[in-house]
Amino acid sequence: MRFFLISLIFLVVGCGSYPKKHGFEKVEALKTSIQNPYFSDPSVDYVYKANIDVFDTSFGGILVLKKLGPAAHRIAFTTEMGNTLFDFSFSKDQFTVNRIVKDLDRKILINILRKDFTALIREENTILKQYQKNGESLTATAILGKKHFYWSKNGQLVQIARMGKGVPKVVFQFSQINDNIAHQIKMTHRNFKLTIALNAIID
Amino acid sequence: MRSRFFSFLLGGPKRLYALGLLSYLFFSGTLLLAQVPMTNAEATALRSKVKDQAKATRTISSDFIQHKHLDFLSNDIESKGTLAFKAPNIVKWEYTTPFSYAVLFKDEKLYINDNGSKSDMDLGSNKVFKQLNQLITASIRGDMFDDSAFEIRYFFEKENSLVHFMPKDQQFAAFIKAFHIRFNATGEVEAVKMIEPSDDYTQIVFSNRKQNQPIPDAVFSH
Repeated sequence: MRFFLISLIFLVVGCGSYPKKHGFEKVEALKTSIQNPYFSDPSVDYVYKANIDVFDTSFGGILVLKKLGPAAHRIAFTTEMGNTLFDFSFSKDQFTVNRIVKDLDRKILINILRKDFTALIREENTILKQYQKNGESLTATAILGKKHFYWSKNGQLVQIARMGKGVPKVVFQFSQINDNIAHQIKMTHRNFKLTIALNAIID
Repeated sequence: MRSRFFSFLLGGPKRLYALGLLSYLFFSGTLLLAQVPMTNAEATALRSKVKDQAKATRTISSDFIQHKHLDFLSNDIESKGTLAFKAPNIVKWEYTTPFSYAVLFKDEKLYINDNGSKSDMDLGSNKVFKQLNQLITASIRGDMFDDSAFEIRYFFEKENSLVHFMPKDQQFAAFIKAFHIRFNATGEVEAVKMIEPSDDYTQIVFSNRKQNQPIPDAVFSH
């Protein structure tokens, strides 16, 4: 019981501290949900050159994302020469591995990719709390049961942070945004060395 | 007998069957009709022509266009670049659009230059990559007619030849189900298609091919 209370205190203090730390004030949310527009157009093939740094290894490839239905996406990663390394389907909270090469077929890796990509592509999320400061807003929401903060500047989503113990564990930054396409995306894990940089190669 | 067969197909209400049969042949059979299987003698002649061509090849430089087909995408992903080959087994693929990326197979190693960021990989430790390198080298030269490693099928496609190579090695087949290589009338490789187990594929079409022209060593440095 005591442990539960301490955890609860940490949770409350932890959750409150992130918006406060960045100078945000709590406001009454005017809507019930928040949108991530970056992978929401089914007519667009979202194709990115990807550079992945994991521990001391760097490698590249092509990351392809496609919206296939109201809450359904397909994400595939190939080498520059075209060999598919993995191919996943996401539908609401359903996740399917269509293909993964043997060298990458590790449960821990697949779990990380599942969580990261779900946060990256999830289009509509229920607003739990909202905070504001001059022209910027911070929105608390939950993805796969984990607290995430959407950070918007002038109405444009620029960052998603997955929280853990009150601090960002994984940060997704969107930049060079044009016509609801984020031409640059950076996904950074804070608790171990993994960075995925995406540069759009969309016609 | 034949006229009775046709009159049976075309007579009265049976005409629909004939239309059905014809459209079936038209839609499902066009690709098959375009690819006429070779006889054993024709396949042997192609093998020796391509092998002679490969033996006489000291260098190749060529432009290429690559199309990556993923079934769920609206359009194929197109990339372009240049290829340089030096006998016996140095190969460099350099992608220039829409990104800058070069991969060099040399001395049992794979050297990568990803937009200025350089890395390398020892091929000796990776069986699949080693095989892939051997295959790429062999497929550029056209000389990959190894019956112990592939189930091979030969076709004519108009004036060109098309050869299907299905890897026999299970580990390799899990990576690439088949290679289709198209040769022109003189036995040079015009296009390579790598088909994955999912039927998604990568097609590389060569153009502006120059054979046995000197290539500066700097092209193959890392």
